[in-house]
Amino acid sequence: MTSANPISPRSSEIAVGDELPVFELPVTSTVIVAGAIASRDFMPAHHDAEFAKAQGAPDMFMNILTTNGYVSRFVTDWAGPEAMIRKIAIRLGAPAVPGKPLHFSGQVASTRQQGDECVIELAVRAANDLGDHATGTVIVSLPRG
Amino acid sequence: MADAEVDELRARLGEYVGKPMGPPAIAPDPVNVPMMRHWVDALDDRNPVYLDEDVAADTRFGGIVAPPAMLQAWTMPRPLIEGIAERGGSPVEIKSDNPIPVLDEAGYVGTLATNSELEFVRYLRPGDQLHLTTEVESISTLKTTSLGKGYFVTWVTTYTMPDGEVVGRQLFRIFKFDPSSIDLSKLGAAR
Repeated sequence: MTSANPISPRSSEIAVGDELPVFELPVTSTVIVAGAIASRDFMPAHHDAEFAKAQGAPDMFMNILTTNGYVSRFVTDWAGPEAMIRKIAIRLGAPAVPGKPLHFSGQVASTRQQGDECVIELAVRAANDLGDHATGTVIVSLPRG
Repeated sequence: MADAEVDELRARLGEYVGKPMGPPAIAPDPVNVPMMRHWVDALDDRNPVYLDEDVAADTRFGGIVAPPAMLQAWTMPRPLIEGIAERGGSPVEIKSDNPIPVLDEAGYVGTLATNSELEFVRYLRPGDQLHLTTEVESISTLKTTSLGKGYFVTWVTTYTMPDGEVVGRQLFRIFKFDPSSIDLSKLGAAR
């Protein structure tokens, strides 16, 4: 099931306070392992539940590269193919573990014109029922128009 | 730990700040479509600029580009699978020019990633050959948190093309803590 926006929104119609469409990721062992291996991260905590538990974690957990990948996807699903992500700055919290869906939400915090681009700062959050998994700022640009 | 020991450790840690953390590295493979496709499918990211040449050609990118969050993936070291668990998950043998083993030896064996900041100067295209250098940006003084006592260690990786063009940066911060005094089962929800 895809949710990618086929066309970027017009930057002139983006306003501070706009909410991004929410996204719920059903986190499973497969989601975690697929992301870990696609990012070439073979740390056992991202595919071996027993190893992760022995280290004190509740279960195998998502690696940070995958979290950044889903944050990027969450933003470009809204901002479309003309979007260029400039920055993803996140604070890491609760682990993303199997059986606990991650809820992504975000709002436009600011917009500014820079050359032929509109630079948009977003406040983003990915949370599950353990707490905030990742919170922070994404800066994305769109061509002016 | 006595104050004198703390001071001595702090001095040892300070020697790493501003210095390279490991040697410069080169991505095992140039940016390539098979790994991009693997990523796109793994994360079900259907932004067409990553794989659809026709759509991408009509965007400001003028052609397909790699998913930006793959930046670090391109330069992950080729792992030595045998013994990876015994190394605590490290894909390769840990190099000596690194403050992490110093903290481990001092009892701060717990590791919690706290911050990641990825900056993309430009998107990568198939064929781009990434190089990287990593530098220890800062090491905090001894801090007491809900996880116990420890040190925040921050490093910055700079990603370049062979000609030196900077294409991206990543700041990464971890908390190295002494887990002996805390309930690790609560680590999952710790902030």
